[in-house]
Amino acid sequence: MTTAASAAPTAPLATRGLVAGYEPDLPIVKGIDFTLAPGEFVTVLGPNGAGKSTFVKAIAGLVPLHGGSLHLSGRDITGLPRHELVRQGLAFVPQTENIFATLTIRENLQVAAAVLPKAERQQRIDAMLAAYPDLASRPGALAGGLSGGQRQMLATARALLVEPKVLILDEPSAGLSPKAVSEMFARLVEINRSGVPILLVEQNVRAALAIASRAVILVDGLLRHDAPAADLAADPDIGRLFLGAHADGAAPAGEGTR
Amino acid sequence: MSGQILLEGLLAGAMIGLGAVGLTLTYSILRFANFAHGELLSWGAYLSLSLSLAIGAVSGASLAPLDPFSVSVALILAGLLAMALTAVLALAVDHLLFARLRRRGATAIIVVMASFGASMALRSLLEFFYTSKPAYYSRELQIAMPLPGGIRATPDQLLLIGLAFVAVIAVHLLLTRTDLGRAMRAVSENPALAGVVGIDTAKIVRAVWIIGGALACTAGTMSGLLVQIRPYMGFDLLLPLFAAVILGGIGSVPGAMLGGLLVGLCEALAVQTIGAEWRAAVAFAVITAVLVLRPTGLFGRAA
Repeated sequence: MTTAASAAPTAPLATRGLVAGYEPDLPIVKGIDFTLAPGEFVTVLGPNGAGKSTFVKAIAGLVPLHGGSLHLSGRDITGLPRHELVRQGLAFVPQTENIFATLTIRENLQVAAAVLPKAERQQRIDAMLAAYPDLASRPGALAGGLSGGQRQMLATARALLVEPKVLILDEPSAGLSPKAVSEMFARLVEINRSGVPILLVEQNVRAALAIASRAVILVDGLLRHDAPAADLAADPDIGRLFLGAHADGAAPAGEGTR
Repeated sequence: MSGQILLEGLLAGAMIGLGAVGLTLTYSILRFANFAHGELLSWGAYLSLSLSLAIGAVSGASLAPLDPFSVSVALILAGLLAMALTAVLALAVDHLLFARLRRRGATAIIVVMASFGASMALRSLLEFFYTSKPAYYSRELQIAMPLPGGIRATPDQLLLIGLAFVAVIAVHLLLTRTDLGRAMRAVSENPALAGVVGIDTAKIVRAVWIIGGALACTAGTMSGLLVQIRPYMGFDLLLPLFAAVILGGIGSVPGAMLGGLLVGLCEALAVQTIGAEWRAAVAFAVITAVLVLRPTGLFGRAA
């Protein structure tokens, strides 16, 4: 286990006894201790309804916390409003509606860049456009006209724009074509190699285990298993034990859950 | 003849458009139809009146009208101050009423009903302070100048049409060219995502009330200059304002202005051809027609 309590103060991201849910008396996340180490790529797996999305949304400030604490690079960020979390270095890419469709591609980057010092904004936007040629070809186009894969690209570029300490993605492969999914995942590996720790929620178990270094499995709002991704990928029982009867086929490559 | 209708329509339309721009901004960002917006117009008009009287009294009679307009320096200063005060009033109403409901997660219909209450309370306060007798900024008579095409217009009327367009262009540039404007559009589309990308939505809500209040004050003062100042002036404009917002498409600033001009022109045309008693029906007809034929309005999203 890498989630030793002593690692909490300095780890890029750590939760201690995190309880969260839309209603105070109906917790969906029921007390999770989790630590994301520097440079790590962790995927969050689990059956439908296990609380995977709620867990990362709670970290991003989109679902109210009802207990426990949240730490970013040693700072206690429990209960900070969501716009403050970005400034602290926590970038989140929601599963759906993760771009502003009525703004242009450039404007989508500009609204995110507003948290940076004025002098750095233009340079960071240019860097992101350079890293994503698909977006750079028509920065003045409305983002609403982008394909699913391009939207995901824009959402990721926007999250990376602020040079976050941690990148969290909620099912980025949902609804994408198989080709777009493999491109997306290749990007994530690249981003992680550049030093950004990643926390990835995925339905696509096999693909996620192939790119992550570690996997945690949530069942009914609790963290039930924590192991190197390679071990899990090699263990045929894990799917049956933790991911439900249809684990292996739970999410055929490229198919969303919506 | 038809040129004169056009001018009357443009005047009323510019005024409606200016009020509608403020309304469309609050509508799109706060996500409810604020029926107290009309009272912001009335309060703006009365604040301009009181402040111009106060400034006039303090400065003696030294601030004469700016020839050829009936507008005095005192009224211009008063108007600017009144814009700030109307913005403060809008923020106060939000703080006391709407913000509490938002925090409680009240549904849109509850907030709309609350705005009805705010509208009545604000209007009654005006009647209490100023009585319901009409008031005027200036008793000076203005002679209409002949313009090409057989149209006659007073200098005030031309000034106000110009002013309305400058104000609307300024708001449009703010929305499209500045960080604040882009953030406002982002919040209007998706408040949750706006927070995720680092936008302080509470700050944006405050900015919207300030801009909406200042624009309402401008529209109210204009209406007071052109016609008269009454506690019901804003309430009577509410229907045309909503017609302009819905016709232009909710959230669209150019749409609200264009919608205002179209509603104003339709009203002027109806007064000429059917009769003055039908003026108020025009806005109703416009709202109904747009909702049935094109619910997204000219430029915006669905009402």
